[in-house]
Amino acid sequence: MTEPIIEVQNLKKVFGDHEVLTDINLTVNAGEIVSIIGRSGSGKSTLLRNINLLEQPTSGDILFHGNSVLAPDFDITHYRAKAGMVFQSFNLFNNLTVLENVVTPQVTVLKRDPAEAKQHALELLNTVNMDPFINAKPDQLSGGQKQRVAIARAEAMDPEVLLFDEPTSALDPEMVDDVLAAMSNLAHTGLTMIIVTHEMAFARDISDRVVFMNDGVIAEEGTPEQIFNAPHEEVTQAFLKRYLNRA
Amino acid sequence: MKKLWLSLLGVAAAIGLATAAVPSATTQAADNSKTLKVGMEANYAPFNWTQNDASNGAVKIEGASGYANGYDVQMAKKMAKALGKKVVIVKMSWNGLQPALTSGKIDAIIAGMSPTAERRKAIDFTDTYYKSKLTIVVRKDSKWAKKTNINQFKNAKITAQLNTFHYEAISQLKGAIKESAMDDFPAMRVALESGVIDGYVSEVPEGITAKDANPNLTYLKFSNANGFKTNPEDTDLAIGVRKNSSLKAPMNEALSKISQKQRDTLMNNAVANQPSTTSTGNWLVNLLKQYGGMLLQGTGMTLLISLIGTIVGFLIGLLVGIIRTIPRPQTAGKRGLRAVINWLLAVYIEVFRGTPMIVQAAVLYYGAAQAFGINMDRTVAALVIVSINTGAYISEIIRGGITSVDAGQFEAAHALGFTHLQTMLKVILPQAIRNSLPAVTNEFIVNIKDTSVLSVISVSELFFSAETIAGQNFQFFHTYLVVSAIYLIMTFTISRLFRLVERHMAGPKNYNVMNNQMQVVTPKIG
Repeated sequence: MTEPIIEVQNLKKVFGDHEVLTDINLTVNAGEIVSIIGRSGSGKSTLLRNINLLEQPTSGDILFHGNSVLAPDFDITHYRAKAGMVFQSFNLFNNLTVLENVVTPQVTVLKRDPAEAKQHALELLNTVNMDPFINAKPDQLSGGQKQRVAIARAEAMDPEVLLFDEPTSALDPEMVDDVLAAMSNLAHTGLTMIIVTHEMAFARDISDRVVFMNDGVIAEEGTPEQIFNAPHEEVTQAFLKRYLNRA
Repeated sequence: MKKLWLSLLGVAAAIGLATAAVPSATTQAADNSKTLKVGMEANYAPFNWTQNDASNGAVKIEGASGYANGYDVQMAKKMAKALGKKVVIVKMSWNGLQPALTSGKIDAIIAGMSPTAERRKAIDFTDTYYKSKLTIVVRKDSKWAKKTNINQFKNAKITAQLNTFHYEAISQLKGAIKESAMDDFPAMRVALESGVIDGYVSEVPEGITAKDANPNLTYLKFSNANGFKTNPEDTDLAIGVRKNSSLKAPMNEALSKISQKQRDTLMNNAVANQPSTTSTGNWLVNLLKQYGGMLLQGTGMTLLISLIGTIVGFLIGLLVGIIRTIPRPQTAGKRGLRAVINWLLAVYIEVFRGTPMIVQAAVLYYGAAQAFGINMDRTVAALVIVSINTGAYISEIIRGGITSVDAGQFEAAHALGFTHLQTMLKVILPQAIRNSLPAVTNEFIVNIKDTSVLSVISVSELFFSAETIAGQNFQFFHTYLVVSAIYLIMTFTISRLFRLVERHMAGPKNYNVMNNQMQVVTPKIG
């Protein structure tokens, strides 16, 4: 299981005059769980959004199963269905109910039979304990509930990779655990996960590898033990200091 | 939501069918056709007027509910008979007559029109079919009623119909105050009776009619020496035909066989037969009894045009909304194409928002016929103009609705692999439509009222019907009061209906998740 699924090569992203990503090289293997940590503004979310092509890379390349996602004939729609994304602000479709939020993408993108899609959706909503709310609209849910539906929605596409963009940052503390539990259930099921997070304990427990980003570059990467217990770089030490002192 | 889209599709299909079912564009009126299409106002008694039945030899008006009669109609019948054709009367506004003739929508104008030198530049005229004399119509109780010389009108406020030699003749009244010209005779009679003007210049037959219709008015008889000096070209009424028309010679021959005595008889009959305006009993009952059908038909037409116009405009707005939000493509060629399309859409919106609908209607209906020989049905032209015009406004309304949808909704859809079209149809537009519904309701209501400008191309919508009725019964206040009530009922009903739709789209308000989790039924799995 060491076959690379996503390879980021010399990725650079510039917004106007502002260089957010300088030169990113990152290989993620199939089934691996990679957490990306770092200060706000270090480029973590931008990296994730580039991998999903929500942002267009300025230069460099991104490979999915060895194929460049930037190639003109690359099927981006299919790729996006295979590389799901969970957002900080949930982004459930406000015009659809909880159930429709999970069913519609399967039917629309994967052309799944509606009955089959519904069955699949109900199972997944059940695993995140959101099945009592299937007829509710997103407006009627709390943040933690919305995020659990969003995870079910991403899962329903049977993705190979799930990208989590600070999934708990917009939640009240008491809501965080439910969402982290839902994510833990997904880990080590063969699904590849790339998680941008500020939940250091969670990152340490769940990850196979931790990446520390600073000023648009990957400053250090390694196993959770290595990064959290014995970081080599000074910037990593400085960043983790507060967390390490507290722990 | 699926249901909504299905019903929208259904409506679109219905429009397609309806458009196909509307009698195909009237064929270009040609000199060798079997019919003689004659244009007139049908609102200038005793020469031409509109009535509700076929009595006294009236002729059905093309594409409308009423019948036309009068001196001009009888003359038109004689002409058609002489030419071996069937007469067709087309009712249109005075200013629409000439463009309608040159663009081939009618074959002849028999509308009490004088062959002035200016008109001769654009169209040809036959020999005289009636010779009239100028007069001034005044209030019977005013000091002007006793005047016998046109030099005695110092400080009198005088007007006449727009674009007629009557209006130019006011200059002969020494010291008279030349008021702004007015659109039609009924309006001048009302202005005269209410004291806005002291008199209007007209021709003797119209004067007789005015006197008969309204006992408060009278017309003045001047001797030849004391009266208006007129050019025979003006007082002579002739039939207008297209330049070099083959109809001219046979018509002249037919006219030469109608003696002066026959003409006088025709005019006397016309004056005697013109619609009487005296009525007894409740005015509202009378009005509804006499013109209920016409009002209903006008209301129907107004509703049809504004409803279809708003729906098609709405679909155009959605389409433009979808196209204008297409994300920036990768290849330069597609980027260029997108830029061109966006520019065209911007031009469309600016042009149709930036010009009055009345002008657009005139340009489309008359311009297309004159420039390209495209002769379209009036109702079709009206539907097209209202739809395109509304589309321009609703495009901007929908754009506002799309902008107000959270950017995260686009991102989530794209991240799941939705195409742009799927994103718009499944996620963005349902939310954008809900956001823009109040503004769309507004457009619908505006349309109901603004279809009144379509009278410029003689579409018999509610306002056009009202004008016709008021022109016949001279009860301006009463007629327009009833019509404003009809407009109000329509707009009020629509605003209430849309409020219901809005409430429905917003979903139930009493769904409190935190309190009734257990009451939500969970479907069984498996």
